[in-house]
Amino acid sequence: MIEYFTFKHSGEKESYKDEIYLTVVPSVTVAIFYGSVLPATSKVSPEMFSGLLAEVSPDPDFNRMCQVLDGKLPGNAEYLVLRIEGSRIACFRRGGVAAKIVLGGDLKMLPNGIFGLNEGDRILVATDNFYSHLSDEGILADALVTDSCSDWMNLLVRRISDVNQLKCGNLSAVTLLVR
Amino acid sequence: MPDFTLLPDQTVLLIQIAAALFVTAFLSFIYVALTTVLSLNKLKKMAGKDTDNLLVCDVAYFHCRGKRENQEDSVYISPLEDSYSNGVVAACSDGMGGLLYGEDVSRYVVERLDQVYPMKFDDQEGISAEIKKISDEVYEQYHLGAGATLVMTHILNNKMNFYSVGDSNIILLRKGRVTLLNHKQNYISLLIRKLAEGGTETSEAYRNTRAKALIDFVGNIETNVIHTSRPIQLYEDDIIIISTDGVTDALSFNKIKGMLTPEYNAKQLARLMKIGVKNKKLPKQDNYSAVIIKMDRSLI
Repeated sequence: MIEYFTFKHSGEKESYKDEIYLTVVPSVTVAIFYGSVLPATSKVSPEMFSGLLAEVSPDPDFNRMCQVLDGKLPGNAEYLVLRIEGSRIACFRRGGVAAKIVLGGDLKMLPNGIFGLNEGDRILVATDNFYSHLSDEGILADALVTDSCSDWMNLLVRRISDVNQLKCGNLSAVTLLVR
Repeated sequence: MPDFTLLPDQTVLLIQIAAALFVTAFLSFIYVALTTVLSLNKLKKMAGKDTDNLLVCDVAYFHCRGKRENQEDSVYISPLEDSYSNGVVAACSDGMGGLLYGEDVSRYVVERLDQVYPMKFDDQEGISAEIKKISDEVYEQYHLGAGATLVMTHILNNKMNFYSVGDSNIILLRKGRVTLLNHKQNYISLLIRKLAEGGTETSEAYRNTRAKALIDFVGNIETNVIHTSRPIQLYEDDIIIISTDGVTDALSFNKIKGMLTPEYNAKQLARLMKIGVKNKKLPKQDNYSAVIIKMDRSLI
């Protein structure tokens, strides 16, 4: 079972321009679109990203799905897509969105590819803006002292708040826990 | 065979003495080498694994009264000779200001930790339950009339678990980054959570007059002990500071970052911090205490 918690915050900006996409059937698919870094004139919007993803995500072949998605999105679109099936996780990222996994008392970034998952594994998916106010040591410590995704996220948000009172542009993140 | 008969007797004697000295030195060298190898094997067996990559904990501490009448901080460091088998446990407890008996409670907390030692490194739940038990004992004695904070680290085989109740600090310095590992259990956490969930910025929380009020401490009812469920990996040159808030009230994290670098040993780091707090000359300087642990490359 996968437990998850999402966090979307405009961060003192007038509007929230990122997007978090999440489905749990037939497999868990998590995606973050980093719309807030795109210029106002950009052709790609959060709605367009969600629409495209909904269209291609039924494809059981993750690599093919990502190729199709990548081909349909403009070159400046930054996003990450994760798919979790059983004990495997597949990751595809482009630009300033990353997934980090707690592994052996350390925090590692998930590169593009397919990897094994174990019970108790914790994963954070977030935009560069979210990560920029945190250290890996802080993310790791918070992951290891909490036993739910919402508690972990709350501690991360507290850290960002201590730096800038959440006045820092759009913040988007998802915490995941393998039960 | 060399013929010594043509040499003067005195020269022959000198050669014999030199040969005897050489043989003695050689045998001594063999003895020292064998003893060292045997000791290393013994230590490796004690650690139960290959010690080649083990880091050692270089530990130092300071424990100062500041401008307070009483010393309400207490410090605990486990016996370092047991570190290969039981790890290094270091803790600081800060008796709560404004309440009576803060000094007694913090001392009681570290004395009880000493009784609990040695602790099973991987039994985080068990250790947490012991801390809760200590808190319950304090509650039974003082009924919220006294309390203390507690921060504790347990390091074994390059891994660290930590435990925290209240608002003292466990700080990790790694590669020039300073990170507070434990969250402070004060009222501001609740305010920030509420504001963030409402989608607003959180500056209002920091202006709240009760922001720093503790919501948990040793001596509270049903104390919540923050603890790691799995250990954190430690690396060479990591510096861990377990301190009371008297230290961080005087020294900002940026100041600590600029002051402490891995070329110093733990004793030098402790001295730098202590002098740093003292030089700040805060008129109401709280008691300030810290244990500094530097992870060093092992010689074995």
